[in-house]
Amino acid sequence: MQFDDNVAHYWRFFLSGTMTTLWISWLALMLGGAIGAIIAHMRLSRVGWLRAVAIVYTEFFRSIPPLMLFFFCYYGISYALGLNLNPFTSATLALTLTASSLMAEVVRAGIESVGRGQWLAAISAGMTPLQVFRYVIWPQALRVCLPPATGVYISTLKDSSVASVIGYIELTRSGLLIRETTGSSFDVFLIIATIYFVINYGLSLCGGALERRFRIVH
Amino acid sequence: MSTEPAARPPILRIEKLVKKFSERLILDQVDLAVQPGEVVVLLGPSGTGKSTLLRCINGLEEIQGGQVFFENRPVVANTKNVIDVRKHIGMIFQSFNLYPHLTALGNVMLAPMKVLKESRAEVEARARELFRKVRLEHRADAYPGQLSGGEQQRVAIARALAMNPSLLLFDEPTSALDPETVGDVLDVMEDLAREGRTMIVVTHEIGFARHVGDRIVFMDEGRIVEQGPPEVIIDAPVEERTRKFFGSILRE
Ligand SMILES: Nc1ncnc2c1ncn2[C@@H]1O[C@H](COP(=O)(O)OP(=O)(O)O)[C@@H](O)[C@H]1O
Ligand SMILES: [Mg+2]
Repeated sequence: MQFDDNVAHYWRFFLSGTMTTLWISWLALMLGGAIGAIIAHMRLSRVGWLRAVAIVYTEFFRSIPPLMLFFFCYYGISYALGLNLNPFTSATLALTLTASSLMAEVVRAGIESVGRGQWLAAISAGMTPLQVFRYVIWPQALRVCLPPATGVYISTLKDSSVASVIGYIELTRSGLLIRETTGSSFDVFLIIATIYFVINYGLSLCGGALERRFRIVH
Repeated sequence: MSTEPAARPPILRIEKLVKKFSERLILDQVDLAVQPGEVVVLLGPSGTGKSTLLRCINGLEEIQGGQVFFENRPVVANTKNVIDVRKHIGMIFQSFNLYPHLTALGNVMLAPMKVLKESRAEVEARARELFRKVRLEHRADAYPGQLSGGEQQRVAIARALAMNPSLLLFDEPTSALDPETVGDVLDVMEDLAREGRTMIVVTHEIGFARHVGDRIVFMDEGRIVEQGPPEVIIDAPVEERTRKFFGSILRE
């Protein structure tokens, strides 16, 4: 094998790491959004035990550092259940657990932002509870949820760098491998940090734009 | 319309209605019957239970005693049947409660399309007609946030009418409005009364009560104190409490 110590020659590797990071975080955000939405509705339900489950879930998974979750999802699950999860599945699971607990709070805040008068008007018009949610509550809550959801995406993207510890080759892991080959730590870390910054700053701008786009005039 | 025993059965019949919030008695043995085409104006000090009574009529509140019948069907909160009852009862709120994410037209069309499952074309034609009736045909495409309070309330009235309700409930429809837009809303309500709509109106507009109401129901502390034609209840009430109430309002 031939050694090439010019970091720039590894751009394909940086690129695929970046794509992997974006993809796994996006996947975790979508799965987390779906699960978080269910947890949020449980939290707002009139049924006591559903609320209790939702609170425990949310508080638990948003308090655990991502590193613990990655170890748990990779080694813990294989050990406890005898399931051999590959790094991708474990990392997705770990990221989804955290993202869903964050999204649960985002969705709950979104739904709670819709005033009581909206419920009264929709119910008085003869809508079923599902129709009230679908045509009146969710469309308004969604607009409130989108900007903070970009925040959850940013946080999930950053958490995903920890997936390198279980051998999943995302952006950070790609960088570590390039560093081993080229031996130039500074260049590699500078490039990786820049990529994270550009992505996250871009997302943050998107969040701001979404906020302006969807602001409801009352 | 008259308040004498009518040949037709009442559209709404409330018998010995009792409503409590936790242990607090809010409505105490309320009896009320409303005939088709009648305009009943509900007056009384605030905190008396007028809004609560309206919410009991369309089954938004569980009740602790008595019964409510709408078109001879019992209204019981949290049942399947009550959802059906609400399709025939329009409600207009003090704070309008328009859906802010939909245009005025969207607000009016939503329930007929989704609840009554009527076709878009059919609903839109009716909605445009209603915008003319409330004198807002030029504002149909505006969002609620772009409308004045008086305009929003007229859209809310059109939204209620779009369901072809047989009973309209108004809960202080002009209390949140700037004085200069109150008249526009009251004019629309007066038109509806002239058309023969059945309405229960909670309001503090004594002029409206006097000129448009067929019957005034005066409530205090969860009870109906007395009721009758406007000229009797407003100008020559029997009960001391009624006299005091109108005395203080009319002096203002
Ligand atoms: N959801 C509620 N929970 C507890 N008390 C309530 C609730 N809604 C209304 N009340 C009380 O019931 C009483 C009657 O209220 P309301 O029907 O709004 O009176 P009005 O419309 O005549 O001003 C008030 O004392 C109010 O505080
Ligand atoms: Mg009230």
